[in-house]
Amino acid sequence: MSVMSRSENARSLGLWDRDHEGHDVIGTRTFGFWLYMLTDAMVYAALFATFGVLSHVVNLAGGPSPAAVVHPVYAYGETVALFVSVLAYGGAMVALKAGNKAALIGALGAAMVAGGVFLGLAYSDIERLFHAGIVPQASGYLSIFFGLILYHALHILVGMVWMLVMIVQVMTRGFTSNVVYRLINLRLFWHFQAVIWVFVFTFVYLQGTVL
Amino acid sequence: MSASHHDPLSHPEVQLASGRGYVANFLVTTLLMGFGLWLSVTHAVAPLTLVAVTSGIAAVAVGVQAYLLLHMNLSEAQIWHTVAMILFLPLFVVTIGLTAWMFHGLYARTMIMSPHIGAFLHR
Repeated sequence: MSVMSRSENARSLGLWDRDHEGHDVIGTRTFGFWLYMLTDAMVYAALFATFGVLSHVVNLAGGPSPAAVVHPVYAYGETVALFVSVLAYGGAMVALKAGNKAALIGALGAAMVAGGVFLGLAYSDIERLFHAGIVPQASGYLSIFFGLILYHALHILVGMVWMLVMIVQVMTRGFTSNVVYRLINLRLFWHFQAVIWVFVFTFVYLQGTVL
Repeated sequence: MSASHHDPLSHPEVQLASGRGYVANFLVTTLLMGFGLWLSVTHAVAPLTLVAVTSGIAAVAVGVQAYLLLHMNLSEAQIWHTVAMILFLPLFVVTIGLTAWMFHGLYARTMIMSPHIGAFLHR
């Protein structure tokens, strides 16, 4: 089979031709982004593995124990804020399904606000610790504690900026294929942060009270 | 999926959204995390039991999120998302588990444990 006929064959299957009837732009791009999210989850795996190692009592270096650092009631406030944001993004997806642009923009705005509440709570918790002299460089445990929660908070910040971009794109471009696949990718990204937060809340905060 | 080419909103990835599922997920996961919080702040159970129970709660919550939020199912539109997740899970567990196991052995053999620390670890 010559190169030409092979490429003709691929073209007839619709694999590389974006304008081909059978080319599924939304399906292929969201699957690719899903694989990227799983790659991001491997970074979390490395962080959780490090957390498991450095939360051991030999790594406290004379610094405060996890039970003296974590504030699970406060962290539950962050949990509810993030879950509300995830629910609001779910509402945005229902609005997208119905083709309701105003409801979609409103729900994205609500998800952004709730994400902002999460970040505000995280910020004041970190500020409280810093004022008490509990800083990342004090011990191995504190390094990974701050590393893990800041890596998660960074994701929330990125997600909020992305939401702002999508609000603008929905308003200016409408429901084109490109806008729709980006909204779905952001759904995967945002809802995945809630899954990761369940691990952070459980292993860092709840179980931190007995470490 | 030629229809999706003309109308992006008819794509299965858009149509799988479920308001009822998202609300159910919110209620179930918020209550599960609240129960874990109650267990940890009231010291209702022994430390090792708390670790075991909260880990179980997290597993249930993540399972609910995987099904209702991430739409992990065997439908034609989602099956490869689900397959990728299932193939990913062993990597996630092995990465964390092997690291924890390796350092647990290392600490036991190399770190000088004071009697206080020994009692702390085995309480």
